[in-house]
Amino acid sequence: MKLRNILATTTAATLALAGAAFADGHGGYKIGITQNNVGVDSYQTTYEKAFIAAAEANDNVEAVVLDAGGDVARQIAQMEDLIQQEVDAIIIWPTNGEAVIPAVRKAHKAGIPVVVTNSNIAEAGFEFVKSFSGPDNITQGSRSAEIMCDKFKAMGIENEAQVVHITGQPGYTTAIERAKGFDDRLPEVCPNVTIVDTQPGDWNREKSQKVMEAFLVKYDDIDGVYAGDDNMGVGALNAAKAAGREGIIFVGATNFAVGYEAMERGEYWGSIYQSPVDDAEAALKTALDILNGKELPFLNYFDTPKITQGNQSEFTKPVF
Amino acid sequence: MGGVTKAQIGSFLARQGILIAFALFMIGFALANGRFLDPDNIMGVIRSSAILGVMALGVTFVVISGNLDLSVGSMMSFSTIVVLDLHDKIGPTMAIPLMFSMTLCLGAFVGFLVGYLKLNSLIVTLGMLSAIHGLTLTYSGGKNMDIIDKEGTWFSVFGQGSALGIPVPILIFVLLAAFLGILLSKTPFGRKVYAVGGNGVASTFSGIRRPRVVFMCYILSAFCVATAGLIQASRSLGSQNTVGQGLELEVLAAVILGGASLLGGSGTIFKTVIGVLILGFIQNGLLLVGLQFYVQFVVTWVIIILAVWLDIAAKRGKLWSPIA
Repeated sequence: MKLRNILATTTAATLALAGAAFADGHGGYKIGITQNNVGVDSYQTTYEKAFIAAAEANDNVEAVVLDAGGDVARQIAQMEDLIQQEVDAIIIWPTNGEAVIPAVRKAHKAGIPVVVTNSNIAEAGFEFVKSFSGPDNITQGSRSAEIMCDKFKAMGIENEAQVVHITGQPGYTTAIERAKGFDDRLPEVCPNVTIVDTQPGDWNREKSQKVMEAFLVKYDDIDGVYAGDDNMGVGALNAAKAAGREGIIFVGATNFAVGYEAMERGEYWGSIYQSPVDDAEAALKTALDILNGKELPFLNYFDTPKITQGNQSEFTKPVF
Repeated sequence: MGGVTKAQIGSFLARQGILIAFALFMIGFALANGRFLDPDNIMGVIRSSAILGVMALGVTFVVISGNLDLSVGSMMSFSTIVVLDLHDKIGPTMAIPLMFSMTLCLGAFVGFLVGYLKLNSLIVTLGMLSAIHGLTLTYSGGKNMDIIDKEGTWFSVFGQGSALGIPVPILIFVLLAAFLGILLSKTPFGRKVYAVGGNGVASTFSGIRRPRVVFMCYILSAFCVATAGLIQASRSLGSQNTVGQGLELEVLAAVILGGASLLGGSGTIFKTVIGVLILGFIQNGLLLVGLQFYVQFVVTWVIIILAVWLDIAAKRGKLWSPIA
């Protein structure tokens, strides 16, 4: 953890220095970003790289890239640093939706527009935020429900299919919203499909595998599995393969490389394609639009399309 | 009752309180869901407990020697990530010994700090918990590690294979438990571990080289962690960087549940195995019963406290005692 943060800080410092040098000549926008926890997973790592690349490609932008390392206190300190540096806009990927509100309020009071990226902060903080840029988790959940229902209809089992649902970490906004999207949409499109059980897999492949093993013991008839992300979906797939149970339709979200490969092998049906590159570019664009005086809606979602075995060739394999 | 006296039963109960608790939970879950005692389910639970179990075996030595090891969770993530990465780079035959040596180096480092420099094990291993996590992330660049050719590698044998109808992870767990059980209870080294944890000062005056014993306990623990990492990597042939996160506390819970004293000097391998099985069957049982998962956290806690209470009560010979 330590080593990585030193790395992150030095990268940020170098960037800031380099940026300062050229900003003098150009007079562009100085945009600060404090990220949640770069390096903890490939999504966040790729996001950071894409953000830096997008900022470098734009002559008008000088980026100060910081990483909170998952630590709320550090993120608040970074917000204060950015306010001190009088950046033109701050992008924040909240480590905690509640705890960062005072820091966001401080930036707002200092007249610096704040954009929240990827995961939103709690509603109490909305008045201090200019805009949210990120994926729409509820839509992702309902799209997964549609993918599953369409497949059941194609198989002709839409009137008797039984589904188990493996959610992300209990208490996480992303987990709650995706679950809600799925649970609300499935009965609308496939009213006779039943969700027989829901348990958390904590975003963890191994945990999800254990949960699925228990489901396989408990239910003789499972037609579909919806997992809150592909990592857990592949864990569930492993359990089904080990138990020799075939013909189960697996649908996930946030298409991971492992999910994409399992789809190529024909073992995994579908997912939601969410690109960290799109996520990062959308955040930067939102901040620039605000600085350029454009009127934006509060919630700026970037599109996260459906991906299945049928159309996966239209998408490049995720890097994470 | 034949020749068995009440006192004999009493002393048996006093020694096996945790077994009784275990039996009670098994009966309870079996009544709640008919499939709980399904051989497939039992086998599945033991198989997935094997990873936690193998780690708990090593930590038992550390705890009996009077120390703690909170670094095992992130150390397990480290070995899993390393062996998966090396698998595709230098092949499994080379990757496995290399991963073991790297993990043993980490164990040796912790053992040196706690054994020879006599630093507080809680602080040292708590620090190592995040230091090793950082090391893993630096090594992998934060990326999930996956074996490319999942179908064509024999590496999957450790986690997915089976011999004589028994899954390999269970075989590894049982063999390692038998070996370490004998090492702990039947050899001079084992007696030294108890002596060091029971009364460190007295053991030094008896001519036991305390630093060396503590050092060896951490080496054993690291060896067990590497084995667990091997099973984990082989079981899913791919992994997140955080695969072992939080396991250190589950491992410690299993060891303490088995009756080892946090103050050192007591505990056995057999009881640790029971502790591991209790945790594994609680998780599985609650899933099968289908309790809402927010409630499961609380129920897990209640069951663990009940088990510890039954164990203590059996030792005291009564359910409630005004003095400890």
